[in-house]
Amino acid sequence: MQKKAALLLVLLLLLAAAPGLAQDVTTLTWLTLDWPVDAIIEEFEARNPDIKIEAEQIGFNDLFAQIQVRLGAGSAVPDVIAVDVPLVSGYAFRNWLLPLDPVFTGDEVEDWLPAAVNAGSYEGTLYAAPISTSTQLLFYNKACFDRAGLMPPGADDRLTWEEIAEIAQAMTFDDDGDGTPDVWGFIWEQMVRIYQLQALPESLGGAAIGDDGLEVDGVINSEEWIEAYTYYYNMFNVWNAAPQGEEFWPADIFETGNICMFVGGPWNIPRFANNADLQIEWGVSRHPYFADGEPATPTGSWHIGVNANTENVEAATRFVHFISTGEGAELWWRKGSGDFPAQQSVLALFATEQEFDELPMSYMRTAADEATVNPRPRAVTVGFLEYEQILQNTFQDIRNGADVEESLNLAVQRISSEMAKYR
Amino acid sequence: MRRQQLLPYLFLAPALGLLIVFNLVPTIATLVESTFIMSLRSGHRVFAGFANYERIFNDPIFWKSFQVTVVFSLLVNPIQIALALALALLINQKLPGIGIFRSIYLLPIAVSLNVTAIVWGLMLDQNSGMVNGILTQLGFARQPFLHSVDQALWSIILIASWIGVPLWSLFILAGLQNISPTVLEAAKIDGANAWQSFSKITLPLLRRVLAFVLVADTVANFLMFAPILLLTQGGPRLSTNLIMYETYRRGFIYGDLGASSAMLTVMLLIVFLIIGLELYLLRGAE
Amino acid sequence: MNPPSAPARKQRKPLRAYLQPAFVYALLLLGVVLVVLPLMWAGAASFTPNHKVFEFAYPFSWRALFPVDFTLEAYENLFARGFGRAVGNTFFLAIATVILGGGANALAGFAFGRFEFRGKNFLFLAVIMLTFMVPVDLTAIPRYILVNTFGWINTWQGLLIPGLANSLVIFLFRQFFAEIPQELIDAARVDGASWLRVLISIILPISKPVLVAASLLMFISQWNAFFWPLLVAPRKELRVVQVEISLAIGQYGTIWNELLAGSMIAAIVPILLVIPFQRYYVQAITGTGLD
Repeated sequence: MQKKAALLLVLLLLLAAAPGLAQDVTTLTWLTLDWPVDAIIEEFEARNPDIKIEAEQIGFNDLFAQIQVRLGAGSAVPDVIAVDVPLVSGYAFRNWLLPLDPVFTGDEVEDWLPAAVNAGSYEGTLYAAPISTSTQLLFYNKACFDRAGLMPPGADDRLTWEEIAEIAQAMTFDDDGDGTPDVWGFIWEQMVRIYQLQALPESLGGAAIGDDGLEVDGVINSEEWIEAYTYYYNMFNVWNAAPQGEEFWPADIFETGNICMFVGGPWNIPRFANNADLQIEWGVSRHPYFADGEPATPTGSWHIGVNANTENVEAATRFVHFISTGEGAELWWRKGSGDFPAQQSVLALFATEQEFDELPMSYMRTAADEATVNPRPRAVTVGFLEYEQILQNTFQDIRNGADVEESLNLAVQRISSEMAKYR
Repeated sequence: MRRQQLLPYLFLAPALGLLIVFNLVPTIATLVESTFIMSLRSGHRVFAGFANYERIFNDPIFWKSFQVTVVFSLLVNPIQIALALALALLINQKLPGIGIFRSIYLLPIAVSLNVTAIVWGLMLDQNSGMVNGILTQLGFARQPFLHSVDQALWSIILIASWIGVPLWSLFILAGLQNISPTVLEAAKIDGANAWQSFSKITLPLLRRVLAFVLVADTVANFLMFAPILLLTQGGPRLSTNLIMYETYRRGFIYGDLGASSAMLTVMLLIVFLIIGLELYLLRGAE
Repeated sequence: MNPPSAPARKQRKPLRAYLQPAFVYALLLLGVVLVVLPLMWAGAASFTPNHKVFEFAYPFSWRALFPVDFTLEAYENLFARGFGRAVGNTFFLAIATVILGGGANALAGFAFGRFEFRGKNFLFLAVIMLTFMVPVDLTAIPRYILVNTFGWINTWQGLLIPGLANSLVIFLFRQFFAEIPQELIDAARVDGASWLRVLISIILPISKPVLVAASLLMFISQWNAFFWPLLVAPRKELRVVQVEISLAIGQYGTIWNELLAGSMIAAIVPILLVIPFQRYYVQAITGTGLD
C-alpha cells in the first residue's frame, strides 16, 4: 500500500510541475537558433512589460524538422519563428506564416536591403522580416603568399576563379611527403551548400531555377552549371588544392595555418580579430568571379516570421517589429547573432563606428560594401528544402570524384520527382 | 469469479492504455495518412486511395533505396550475428580476467547511437581521422570510407555493429550459460572434438536464443536511420540511402506525409514478412 | 575419484592449456582495441583545446589517446551554458520513467505471463508486437498533434508520459513471470492473499534480475532520448542531455571538444550503471526462456 501511495505522490508531483498560468502577461514563444538572445529579450521586455518572451533555442540541423512538424501540425506555438530566408516561399505557400505588410511603415521597408525584402516576400507579400543578411569574402593567410612568392590581393581587389585555381595549386604543400598535402590552397567555407556554390554558375550567367520556380531540367544541368561544377570538381580532384573532408570547419584549419585561402562569411572577421592566440597574419579581398563572367556574391540570412496560427498576433508582431527595425535591429546586431545587419541604417554604422577604423576590424567595411554590390539570393522556390538537400548530396558526390554531368542529371531527376507534388 | 475475470484487464490497463494512446493510435494514423493526399497550399486532405503508393512505386529513388536496404540487411545481419556468436563464445571461456573483458565489451551498449555515429564519423574522416592515421602508419593507403560509393555502406555497417555485436552477444551469452556443462563434458568423454561439440550440441541448444536475436536484429537494422541522418544523408550517390532514412527525409524534411506514410507502411509489411519467414525457416529446422 | 581416462588427458594438456587461452586472449584484445579506441580518443579530445582535437589522430600517434595541452575548457563552457540543468532534467525523467513505467509495464507483463483471459493473444500481437516494430520517431507527427491537443508542449508530462509504456520491457516481464513455479503462487493464494499482495510480497522479491534489467533498459532509453524531447519540449529549462549536446553543432562550425565532452558525460552515466549490474542483465535474459 505504501508503494502505491508513493507512486501516486510522484505522479501528482509531476503534474504539479506543469508551468503555472500567467495572469496579465502574454507569453510569447520564440523558436530560434542558439544565438545570444538575452540582451534583446531583456530590452524588449523592459519596453513591453505586458509581454514575456520564452526562447526555444535549438541546433541549426534540427530547426527545419522542428518547424515542419510543429507548424505542419497546425500548432499555435511557437508564436515567433526564425526563418532561413530561402524557406520563406515554402512556408508561405503552406500558409504557415502571417502576412506582415501591415506591421511595417514604408520607411522601415525601404531601410532594408532590397534583396532581403524580396527574399522575405512571396507573391508580393512580406512574410518574414529580415534580421540579418550575409555576404562572402575571400580570406587568405599572408604567409602562404610569401612562401609561394606571390603578392596577396588588396581588400578591394576581386580575383577571378581562374586566378584562385592557379594560386591555390601554388600554395598547396606536402611537407612530410606522404602524398597528402599538409597545407591546402583553397576551400569553400560551406563546402557543399548551395548558399555558397550557387555563385559559381551565377557568375557564368546560369540561373538557379526555372521561371516557374519549379523546373530544374535544362537549368541545373545547363552548360553554365556543368562548367561551374567542373571547376569545383577540378579543385578537389584534379588540382588537389582543396581537402575533401567535411569534419573540419575551414575557419578552424585556417587558424592553424593548414588552409591558405577560403571563401567565407564576415562572421569570421571578429572571430579572427578577437582570437588572441592566433599566430597567422591574414587579410581579405572581394568575392571571386569567373574571368568571362560577372561578379556574383551570395547573400541571404535569417528572417523572422509569425506563426499564422498564433493566438498572440498583436504581441508577436510587436516583437518582430522591434527586432527587425530601428534600435531593436541595432541591438540585435551588436549583442545578438553577430551576423550582418539587413538594415541600411545599421549597415551605415560600420562607416562611423570607431571600432571599424583599424585593421583587421576595418575589413567589416569591405564586407558591408560587398553586401550591397552584387548580391545574389538563392532560388525562389516553394520546394527549396528538397532543392537544397538534393544539391548538397550532388555537391558531395562531385567533390568526391563523381562525373559532373552525370551527377547533375541525377539531381534533375531527383528534384523533379520532389517538385511534382507542388504542381 | 467476476472480479477474477476483471483483474488481468486491470493490470493491463495502465501500460496498454499508454501504448494504445501514444504508440498504436499514431501508428494507425500514419497508415491512414498513406491513403490521403494533402494539398500543400490549403492543408486540406483528400482521400486518394493508392495514389501515394503509385507515386512511390513509380519513383526510381524509392527503388534505389529499396535495393540499398536489401543489400544492407543481407550483409549486416549475418555479420552481426556471426560476430556476436563468436564474441559470446570468447567471453564465456573460463579464464582469469574474463570478467574485465566482459565489462569492456559492455561499454558500447551504454553509448547512444547518436554519440557512436558522431565519434565514428570523426574516426573515419578521410583526411584527419584516426583510422586513416593508423592505416598510413602501417603502410596502407588512406581510404575514403564514408565518402566512397563502395565503402560508405560498409562504414555504416561497422558503426551499427559496434553497438550491435556486443548487444546481441549478451543475449547469446545468456543462452550459453544455460547449457549444462555436463552435456559438453559428456561429449568430450565420447571423443567429440571442439568443433563437433559446438556444431552438434551448443548450436542446436542455442536455437531459440539465436532465433530471437535474428528477428530482433533484423528489425533493429531495418529501422535504423540515425547514423545516416548524421553522417551521410543517404550519399554518396544514394549508396547509403536506406528506406527508413528516405521515409524520414520525405516526412520530416520535405513535409510530404503521403509518400512518407506509404513508405512506412510498405516497410512494416516487409518487416512482418521477413519475421514470418525467419520464424518459419527456424521452425522447419527443428 | 577421477575417471580412468584422466591421466592420459593430463599429458596432452600443457600444450593446449597454453595455446588455447593465448589465442582467446589475442582475439579478446583485438576486440577491446576496437571498443576502446574511439572512446579513449573521444575522452582525450574532450580535455583538449578545440583546435588540437585532431592533432595526433592523423598521422596517428599514441598521444591521440591522451589529452593534448590538458584543459577543462570544454566542460566549463558546457556547464556554463546550462549542461548541469540538462543532466538534472534527464536524471529526473529517467528515474520517473523507471518508477512509473516500470510499475505499469510489470503489471502488464504479469497479466500476460500469469493469466488466461479473453483477447490475450490478440492484445499481445496487436499492441505489444506492433508497437515494438514501429520506430517511435517515424510516427512523431501524429503523436505530436495528439500531445499538442492535450496542451502538453513544453511540459514535463509531454516529455515523460508518452515514453512510459515500453513493449520490449513488457515482453521481458512476461517471459520472466511466466517461468515462476505455480506452487509458489498457489501457496500464498491458499492463505488468502490478494493478487496485488502476491505480486508485491512473493513475486517482486525473486524478480531482482528482471527488475534490474528492465530498469536499466528504461533508464538508458530515456537517457539517450533525443528526437521526441527536442520536439515536445524545446524550451531551455526542459532541455535534456542529448539535445544540449546537439547544440555544439552550429551553423558555421562545430565545437568538437564540447560535442565530445557532452558525449562523454552522456555515455559515462549509463556505463556506470550497466557494468555493476551486468550479471543481472544476463540472468534476466536467461530467465526469459529465450535460451
